[in-house]
Formats: sequence, structure tokens, C-alpha cells
Amino acid sequence: MKEFTDVALNAAKEAGAAFADMRIVEERQNRVYVERKSLKLIDETESWGYAVRVLVDGAWGFASNTRLDKDEVAKTTKRAIAIAKASTKVPKDIPAVMAPEAKYTDTRVGPCEIDPFAIPNKEKAELLLNCTNIMLDQPNIVMAWGFLQFIKMHRIIANSDGSYLDLTNYFANPMLSCHAVDAGEAQTRGFQGGAKQAGWEFIKQIALEASAKKWAEEALIKCRAEDTPRGIMDLVLDPMHLSLTMHESVGHPTELDRILGWEANMAGRSFVKPEMVGKYKYGSDIVNFTANNLLEGGLGSWFYDDDGVKLYSFPMVKDGMLANLGCTRETAPIIGWEKSNGCCRSDGFDHPPINRIPNLYMEPGTDDNLSPEDLIAGVDRGVYIEGMGSFSIDQMRNNFQFGGDMFWMIEGGKLTKPLKKVTYQAQTTQFWNSCDAIAGKKWWQSHGVMNCGKGEPMQVMRMTHGASWTRFRNIAVGGAQI
Amino acid sequence: MRTKQEVKKLTEKIIGFASPQTAQVYYSWEKTIATRFGENAITQNMAGESEQIRIEIFDGKKKGSFATNKVDNKSLKRAIELAAKMSQDAPEDPESMGILGPQEYLEPLERFFNDVVELSPEQIAADAKVVVDSAKAKGFRASGLFEANASIEAIANSKGLFAVEDGTNVNYSATVHGPAGSGKGFDNQSSYAKIDIRKVADMAVGNAEMAQNPADIEPEDYTVIFEPLAVAEILGFLVWNLKARDADEGTTVFAGKVGQKMFSDKVDISVVTDDPELPAPTFGRDGLPIKPKKIVEKGVLKGLNYDRFWAAKTGNQPDAGLFPIVMKGEDKSVEDLIKSCKRGLLVKNMWYLRYVDHKELLLTGMTRDGVFLVEDGKIVRPVKNMRWNESPIVFLNNIVAMSRPERIDGYTKLPGIMSEGFTFSSKTESL
Repeated sequence: MKEFTDVALNAAKEAGAAFADMRIVEERQNRVYVERKSLKLIDETESWGYAVRVLVDGAWGFASNTRLDKDEVAKTTKRAIAIAKASTKVPKDIPAVMAPEAKYTDTRVGPCEIDPFAIPNKEKAELLLNCTNIMLDQPNIVMAWGFLQFIKMHRIIANSDGSYLDLTNYFANPMLSCHAVDAGEAQTRGFQGGAKQAGWEFIKQIALEASAKKWAEEALIKCRAEDTPRGIMDLVLDPMHLSLTMHESVGHPTELDRILGWEANMAGRSFVKPEMVGKYKYGSDIVNFTANNLLEGGLGSWFYDDDGVKLYSFPMVKDGMLANLGCTRETAPIIGWEKSNGCCRSDGFDHPPINRIPNLYMEPGTDDNLSPEDLIAGVDRGVYIEGMGSFSIDQMRNNFQFGGDMFWMIEGGKLTKPLKKVTYQAQTTQFWNSCDAIAGKKWWQSHGVMNCGKGEPMQVMRMTHGASWTRFRNIAVGGAQI
Repeated sequence: MRTKQEVKKLTEKIIGFASPQTAQVYYSWEKTIATRFGENAITQNMAGESEQIRIEIFDGKKKGSFATNKVDNKSLKRAIELAAKMSQDAPEDPESMGILGPQEYLEPLERFFNDVVELSPEQIAADAKVVVDSAKAKGFRASGLFEANASIEAIANSKGLFAVEDGTNVNYSATVHGPAGSGKGFDNQSSYAKIDIRKVADMAVGNAEMAQNPADIEPEDYTVIFEPLAVAEILGFLVWNLKARDADEGTTVFAGKVGQKMFSDKVDISVVTDDPELPAPTFGRDGLPIKPKKIVEKGVLKGLNYDRFWAAKTGNQPDAGLFPIVMKGEDKSVEDLIKSCKRGLLVKNMWYLRYVDHKELLLTGMTRDGVFLVEDGKIVRPVKNMRWNESPIVFLNNIVAMSRPERIDGYTKLPGIMSEGFTFSSKTESL
């Protein structure tokens, strides 16, 4: 492809571009969807295209195309340059520049032990149908659905730094859920493990069929459970639940483009300011968040981001203090930082890359022996929450309200009864500063998020979070019930 | 961009390649120009176009599907082979309804305008500058997305069904921030000629000016006046929950409610196909024709959304989909609603709505871009954003008055609504 990327980069250089890249993206996707006992979808989708991005006179232009020959690449580059010149009509106070980055030539392939595209679709469909049948065979289960999605993403990135990157990653995304109806209630329960950068081996490992009956039984338990208690009480949260909490209240607030105001029209801004780094008490002393774009199986472990930055690991919150922000080669220099930490991604060939949440997880507690049961034993009155449910946070990432997928009352240090319709509400740093115990390393689990929406036009991105079971004190529970 | 006739020829060619297999082809093409700005400067500026073919091959009650954006003959033949292999591998679907024969469609309203296709990045940048300059004049900061789309969609199959339509949409959305508060402005039209950039700028800057320095307010039940943009956010959830099968299985709030009064007498919600301000597409799911349909009339739930399988099983007519949606209003302005309000909150926009209880259709969300205390028919002061927990069922049951409906996007036209007893539950300092 270098013959084509050279055309774009040379044309951009001749036009005076301070930076240019050409990104060629080929994506192959396989989906199987089952609803009740009906196979609704077996399909594959392939998409192929490229985009040229240029920085001219401190302003951006971006044009994409699906026709590849040298003339088309030249035309696309010319279009990107014309768009950049149009952008100069509403210029930035300080023209955009790209933070320096080394020149890389690299070819990498992400983890995939068993090619999911080689597994017969019949096997995938039968797996899901078996799962939904198991669920539907349980009393009061009226609906069950399952979904398998496999993606192979192949990117070639060539840029004016001289980098030429050939990168391939595989993603496996299983979903399974059911609806129980009983006693005038309808409740859902299902697989909450998220997605992983992996092949078919991930689907074998999670053994959906083995847990399908349990989830169906728990959906019915939820229907018959007591409604949420109300009041200020303690929470013990499982890793799957915390993945969403940290995504919304740590991941998004620390995106530098949002902090700079660039997402103000839709996704919103942030209460975080660059000058808080190193000085702001984000959480209690035991709270440590790590951004790790090298995480094995992490959905954000792409080797290089779409700015051509080689990915690495860095602390986001250290001993409770805000330690870093997620940035790009464009956003970093604006706050005086020398280099990007590799948080620039696009969700396809036809969208410009933007500042995204990296793989971001909470470190386990320092006491390896501290277990989830120990955390629960330390609660006089509270709620234990598993998995993800309702979630909402304001546009500055302060006020949030979360639900979950399964709830248990904690009384006198013990799980006493199931609950339903539990929500809790807090302000971001109040919440993380109320964290007083984190289970040890052996209880740490990761959770891949496939559907993070941000940007305009909307882009959908993937990243992985993780945590051990964690306890929070004195949180407002049950206020959503009216 | 292909003409409709060229699209027809392309789909016929693909069906010919697939013959004698049973095949259905979906064609889509889209051209997009999108300019983003933030902090008074263009931050992202893009253009592109893409074309996709999806081929479904049926083998009795088995189906396989392959989609590609490669449209040369070799790629299309390969796509057919792969779809056919998937259909052979697939287990039978007991709910398969196969493909439809030719359908009769309503005469289409004009929904494709060349001025959108011809819109240049330079013109969009000039429009963005109008908003940015207006914001700068007040010492404010503007952000937004100005986007223009043109599209063609078609469906064809080996039973002779063919439907094609084109459409354009221009969406101008801007948010202006002052030091302590923000305001939203927007316009959405099928044609660029109808876009009023001055209106977008004045709305965003005017709302931002009004919203500065909001006062504290306690979360409790309030009478609310939702502008149409806020109504759209909350009503979307209601429409998404109208699947007939889900209701029949008892998982939604509409279980057993068809024919029952669920809302205020004032509520009238329909699929409307003859409104030139909201030109309806002609076809939807599986190539079914889009037809007018009454969903709520005088507060009574009249109809749900039936897919072909559930319609056949229950003896109902299948729906192409419930769009475009129009909710009738009253011959009043939002200002009239404010004048008639003794005490309440004017809500300009919403953010991050999610289910709290899917069965009850209890939602949560935040206010955004301006909330104002109204007393004795006048806006008294801006107040701080709050979280709410409420159901659109309650919201539509407690309606006091409505304004004239306005186009929100290419598929929705809604009034502003004044409703009593809307529950706010917590506060935020976020502006």
C-alpha cells in the first residue's frame, strides 16, 4: 500500500501540510443474533476504505474514500487540503500543532488463538440457541436473547513523520440476557463479562451455557425481590459494575479534548482542569487508576494509536491524586505537555480520530488476602451490586446515578436477601473518596466495553476496564424510586 | 452518486447473479460533510461518501447475509457465495417470514434537495463563523456540529419487490457557553435553503445569556415546561417501547394497554406521511410500505409496532416501523405556556437519559443548557441543573398545555409541553 500512501503524503507536503497521514482500514465483522428460539441473524460485513488527514495553516482537513488508485488518492488528498483551508475561516487562537513522535515501521498482530471466522456459523448459532433454550425452559422466562460479534480490524497508518504501521487486532464480543415476568414485574439478568481482544477461545473460556440457567433463575429472583431500600448506606461493588462506574466518572472526565471544551456541544465537558494534575484529590488514598494500553486482551491495546503514537502504560490516579490525563498529539501541546500518551482513536476509515478513553482500570488492594466476603463482613447495612444496569451522569461528569444487574441486601456483615430496582447517586469525587477497601489481586477482573459513544458524528469505541471488589461508605441509595 | 434507475439496475444485476437462489438486496449510499467547532474554532472538518450492498440469501427457513462496500462484479459474486454458504450452514429459523412480493407505496414527498449535495465546506465554515462571531461578541464560547447528509436507500428481491428513495438532511446544532451557563441553538431541515443560521446563532447565544449565574434550587416535584428538544429526548423512550410482542409478553409498560386510556386527553401521537415539513420515507422494515398510523388518540393507546412474524401470529397488520412520528400540539407558543404557568421550571434541553425501571418505563436524566424558574407567568431567574427520575407515562398524563409542534429531526415533530408533578431528585453544580 506504500505506493498509495506516498501519493497522499507527497501531495500533502507539496501543499504545505505541517502534518499528514493516510489511514487505510479494513474491517471484517461476523455477527450471530438469536432472539427467543429464533435465529434472527447470521451475517458477515466487510468494509474497506481510507482517509487522508492534513494539518494546513494550523487547521484540519479530513477526506475519506473507498476507491483506491493513485488518482483517487490524489483527489482525496486535494479534498482534505481544501477542507483544511475552509477550516482556517474559523481559526484557533493558537494554530494546531502535533506533539513530536518517533518514526516507527512495524507490523503487529493482536491476540487470537482460534480464528473466529474459521468457526462454522452453525456452531455459533447452536451455542446461542442452546443458551436461550436453557433460559426459556426456566419458569417465567418469556424472552432470552444472545449475540456473538467478532471483528478483525486491519489498519495501515502512514504519516508525515515517516511512520508506516501495519496493525491487526481481533475482538470477540459475547452477550446473553433473559427477561423474567412474575408478580407484575419484569426483570432481566445475563452475562456481564464484556468483550475481549481475542478469538473464539474467549467464547470457549466463558462457557455461557454453564451459567445460562443461573442467570434465568436470578432474573426470576429479582422479580420476587423486595424493592430497593432508601437512605445513606454502604456499597460493595463487583468488578463488572465498577467498570461502568469508572468509565463514566474517571475515564471520560480525564479526556483532554473534553476538558478543553471541544466536546461541549454533545458529549459535554469535564469538572477536571489541567492544573489539577498532581494536586487534586480524586479518590481516597487507596484508589489507584492505571491507563494501560498494553493490557493483554484489552480492547484498547492497539499497539499504536491513530496518531501513530506507540502505546504504553501510565498512572491516571496515584494514591488518590489525579496524576494524568488522556491526550492526543494535538491536545497535549495545548496544555504544555511535550508528548501524547496515545489516546487518539477513530472507529473507522471514514471518521477522524479523536481523544478517547484508554484501557483504564482500578488497581487491586494491597492486601492480597482481603476478599469480597471480608468487604461485606465490614458492612452493617448496605447493598452488594453485581453487573451493570441503569447509568447516567451529567455533562461535566459530577452528578451520577447507577443501577446494576443483581442486588443483595447486606445486614450485619452478611448478604440477607435479594433486592430489585436499586440505584445509588453520588458526586464523582465524593464517591471515589468514600472508597475504604479494595479486595486483593486474585479478585481482580477485567471488562471490555464495546460501545463507548462520543464525538460528532457519533463514533463508537472500545476499551477495557477492570477492578477487584470494592467498598464505598455512606452513599445515597434508592432515591430514583418515585 | 448513482441515479435511482442505476441503483435499480445494480440490484437487478445482483439478483441475477444470485439466481436461481432466493435473494434480497439492500443498497445504501451516503455522502456526509460535517464541520465541528469548539471554543470558537473549527476543530474537525470532514467529508466522505460510502456505498454498501447487503445480500441476503434464503434457503427455505434458513438465511445468510453478507455486506460489502466493494461493488465490482467479482466482489458481489463473492458476497453472494458467502451469504449462500451462511444460509446453508444456518439452523432453520422457525419465525422466518421469507421475502415479500411487490408492494404499493405512497406517493413520495420531496425529500431530496440538490443544495445539500452541493453544500461546500467553505459555506459550512461561513455558517459556523456566524455562530462563533455572535458568541465572541458576548465574550462567550461556541461549539457545535454543522452536518449535511445525502443518501439513497433501496431494497430489491427475487420476488420482484423494489423500492428506492433518496433523502437529504441538514442538521445545525450549536452550544454557547458563557462563564456560568450555556445555551443551545439548532435547526434541522431537508433542504439547506430552509436553514436559518441567524436563528441558530441567536437561539444559542440568547439562551446562553439567559442561563448565566443560575441560582440554587431544591430538587422536588415541579410543574415543568419542556421545549420541543427536551420533549424529543423523553418521548423517544416511549416510542422505542411500543413493540407489540414485548407488550404481549409482559415486559413493557404497554402490556395489555391497547384500547386503554394511559395519557391526558390532549395526547395524540401518530405516524404521519403527508407533512411536507417532515417528508416521510416510503418504505421500512423488509420493504413494507410506510403508512399513516394512530398510536395514541385522546390519551388512549391505539396501536403498537408489529413485526411480520408477530403480526401474522396475532392477526394484525405488520408495520414498516413507527416513523415519522408527530405529536399534535395546541395553537400556542412556548411563551404562551410560560405566561400561563403559576410556578414551574422551563427546561431547554436534556442529557443522558436512561432506564431506571424498564417495565415501568421509569427514566432518569439531567437537565442541560438552561433551566429557568417561572413564577406568575414570567421567567424569574436561571436555576442550576438537576437530576430527574420520572416516567414519560406520568409526564404525558399530567399535561396542562402544549405549544405548536416543531421539526426536531427528519423523523420527529413535537410540541413543547407543560406538565405537572415532574420529579427532580438531586442537584449538581455542573453548568
